[in-house]
Amino acid sequence: MTDDRSLELAVGRVLRIGITASSICLGAGLALTLAGADGRLATLLLKIGLVALLATPAARVVVSIIDYARERDWLFVLLTLTVLGELLASVVAAVYGRR
Amino acid sequence: MSAVSFALAAIIFVSGAAAGGLGALLGIGGGVFLVPLLNLALGFPIRTAAAISLATVIATSSSVSAGRSGEQLINLRLGMVLEVATVAGSLLGGLTAHLFSEMVLQRLFAAVSVLSAAAVLARVNRRNVVRDPSGDTGMLGGRFHEHESGGVVTYRVKRLPAALLASFAAGNVSSLLGIGGGIIKVPILNAWCGVPVRAAAATSAFMIGVTATGGAIIYYGRGDLVPLAAAPAVLGVQLGGWVGLRAGHHAPARTLKILLATVLVVVAVLMFVRSTR
Repeated sequence: MTDDRSLELAVGRVLRIGITASSICLGAGLALTLAGADGRLATLLLKIGLVALLATPAARVVVSIIDYARERDWLFVLLTLTVLGELLASVVAAVYGRR
Repeated sequence: MSAVSFALAAIIFVSGAAAGGLGALLGIGGGVFLVPLLNLALGFPIRTAAAISLATVIATSSSVSAGRSGEQLINLRLGMVLEVATVAGSLLGGLTAHLFSEMVLQRLFAAVSVLSAAAVLARVNRRNVVRDPSGDTGMLGGRFHEHESGGVVTYRVKRLPAALLASFAAGNVSSLLGIGGGIIKVPILNAWCGVPVRAAAATSAFMIGVTATGGAIIYYGRGDLVPLAAAPAVLGVQLGGWVGLRAGHHAPARTLKILLATVLVVVAVLMFVRSTR
């Protein structure tokens, strides 16, 4: 087994940044809504928070792809690229599944 | 906004905190507790409950895994391999979720809970670890420092096809039911594939973020992910998860397994009873 410690730390950073940004937006959007403030800003913040939440795991997959590519670990580049492709497929499905 | 919606937001927040606490403690994401709370107690349709729960699963997975990074308890390579199968499963689940009725999904939820409880109880005393710090881990195995015994635990991954199949099923069920899928993966990784329960739980908790994203994106596109209900759930789950993660360090593995099995059986009974009405 190769040492994945640096990747583990990089992935941890991405996850922490993503979840923090998302939580701040969701918290602010929720607080504004409950306080009865301007509906448009609150809705926008909630939307940004949710999108940031959904983008966080995707971002850590991208970080993994870059790291494995740097290590020339092509098997794992292929595996992580496949996962990213599957996530993109769900975005396509979401766009076409819109009611 | 009215007092009712403030109360509802508060209730969702508390439900999220409870689910997140148990989920982090057990490494299963919390969805298995949140979906019944939202569906049975608060009356959300199971698809809406699933969508909200998936959002919290992503949050739990992200914050728990961020908190664990550097401990080498998460088996990154095994996770990346299994994610290929698990995200494919969640994609399929997200695409087919609207084909199933509320009753079918509730019974599926009950069945998944019972099977998982049985799998956990069957292996409650088994410890598949090699206490040899220099031992060969193979390409996908791992080693980590165990707080409980104070030693280094080494393990190899056995029966990878079984793990891949379980991951696909877990991803599928994850999207359909709004759970992380850890309740399927952790017992199988632990019992069949030789991964110690702590490493299995940490790796599963890491994977379920990506798994849940596959399904959550589709629910979001369909408008099932209600922002005003998802926000308090996501924030509550994180608070609970933060507490649960700290408590989990001190609880022995055997106690965790028995607690997990008991809760799963209770959830199954409640879901089944509701589906017959």
